[in-house]
Amino acid sequence: MYQIMIIEDDAVIQEELSVLLKSNGYEVILPKDFFNIISEIQNNPPHLLLLDINLPVQNGFKICSGIRTFSNVPIIFVTSRNTDMDELNSIMLGGDDFITKPYNTPILLARIASLLKRTYASEHAEVLKYGGVTLHLENSKIEYQGELAELTKNELKIMVYLFRNAGKIVPRADLVEYLWDSQLYVDDNALSVNITRIREKLKSIGVTDFIRTKHRQGYLI
Amino acid sequence: MRYQEYLKDQLPVIITHALSMLFCVIFLSAVNVQASITLILLIIWILVTASYINVRFFSRKRHFAELLLQLERLDKKYLISEVMEYPILTEDKIYYGLLKAANKSMIEQVSESKRERKEYKEYIEQWIHDVKTPISAMKLLCENNKSDTTRKLMAELTKVSHYTDQALYYARSENIEKDYLIREVSLSEMIHAAVAENKQHLLQNHISVEVNNCDDTVYTDEKWIGFILNQLIANAVKYSKKEPKITFEANSKQGQIVLGIGDNGVGISGTDLPRIFEKGFTGENGRTGKSSTGIGLFLCKRLCEKLGIGIAVTSESGQGTQVELYFPKGDFVKVQE
Repeated sequence: MYQIMIIEDDAVIQEELSVLLKSNGYEVILPKDFFNIISEIQNNPPHLLLLDINLPVQNGFKICSGIRTFSNVPIIFVTSRNTDMDELNSIMLGGDDFITKPYNTPILLARIASLLKRTYASEHAEVLKYGGVTLHLENSKIEYQGELAELTKNELKIMVYLFRNAGKIVPRADLVEYLWDSQLYVDDNALSVNITRIREKLKSIGVTDFIRTKHRQGYLI
Repeated sequence: MRYQEYLKDQLPVIITHALSMLFCVIFLSAVNVQASITLILLIIWILVTASYINVRFFSRKRHFAELLLQLERLDKKYLISEVMEYPILTEDKIYYGLLKAANKSMIEQVSESKRERKEYKEYIEQWIHDVKTPISAMKLLCENNKSDTTRKLMAELTKVSHYTDQALYYARSENIEKDYLIREVSLSEMIHAAVAENKQHLLQNHISVEVNNCDDTVYTDEKWIGFILNQLIANAVKYSKKEPKITFEANSKQGQIVLGIGDNGVGISGTDLPRIFEKGFTGENGRTGKSSTGIGLFLCKRLCEKLGIGIAVTSESGQGTQVELYFPKGDFVKVQE
């Protein structure tokens, strides 16, 4: 599990970021104080750093260049300063990315994921499994007992989200939002159509009642 | 300076001389001087006076013409008193002194106002940065506690952060050329980022989004274009009608990449269309209860001008609006100062 350190002095943001990252499957490290950040990182190196610029004791730029003397850990600057000079500075000092507040969480998560993937070549195979059904991400196919069915881009994304939340009820609104975050602008009606198609495809490979509809709540696999 | 006007000014002199001549003639005839001698005297007198008046006219005329020319050549006209020559005549000296004193006080006033404006601008910028932290915190809180209420809150927060951005860009828009970074950016990435940012807002208003053929890259500043796209999306949402839809489509024509952002909203009437980029112009749509500020499109236009991007709007009342951004093509783009 990837460990992410959040260096941020606003308590609410720090806490909420922790919740967000934890619920997306990351482990979170918070610095104990702002005096020994560098040594803390040396003793317990995280996989990635989220770094604010305006900080007590030392600003983010200084911390960044301090870290760069001994480590190549990916650093994302997360800040409310948004002039190009700030951005240029953070890149020049060795930052890997720059996101301004108020940021979009999907974008933040996507950047984190892609940086981690780039830095630590993915250990996870691109398949998801649940209840005997296998989802192949690389060729967009769904498999059950050797039978295969091909999924469209929308259908694949829907299935990915359902698999990742297997066993939980997924509200339709969450699903629509997830699709929008994946740049698929699908509305509520189109979602129903897609679900129907997926069910047909599942049926064709011998799976029935895999996706259950919870009335007024959402879908469940 | 016209001769007639000048003569009018010289009227006291002329009258004085005429009266003196009259008394002289009476006196000379009283002491029995020959009429011909009096006449010669009068003619010489008139000639001398007339030539004085004329010579003075031409020298004054030349003096003022030079001053006016000097003024014409000056970039900052209020500095004329600093560059004009020190006058010879006493009257001119007094005017010169007046001009200098008035100028000095005016310049002091101007620099005082400038300083106050700068301070206020800095305060606004600082304030906006400060307010972004609680906005981020609220957004995260909404994200971590998803419900219908937080979704609505999120949509409202999007508006708040859009307004703060607007204020920031307005505060900066005068000398914004200090703050840009031109690089190759992908149109589709910018569009998707803008849509993601307005996601809640678009979803709440049931607006469908279509992105076609936006695989081109352009050389520009990502942040500014992001702001412009946000503004255009916000407008499309605000002025939407039944079955609303926003379409993004890029085309390449005549050495330019044209990004079209179209909606099927209420549109802009023909009489309003030529004025939409004016600051504070709200038009018909603004009056029908949509609470326009008339700042958004004005800022878009200004940013486009500074970035060297063309912007054009076509619209038909009731049919929707189509905004086109013209990005110059090529490996190098010069930013207009």
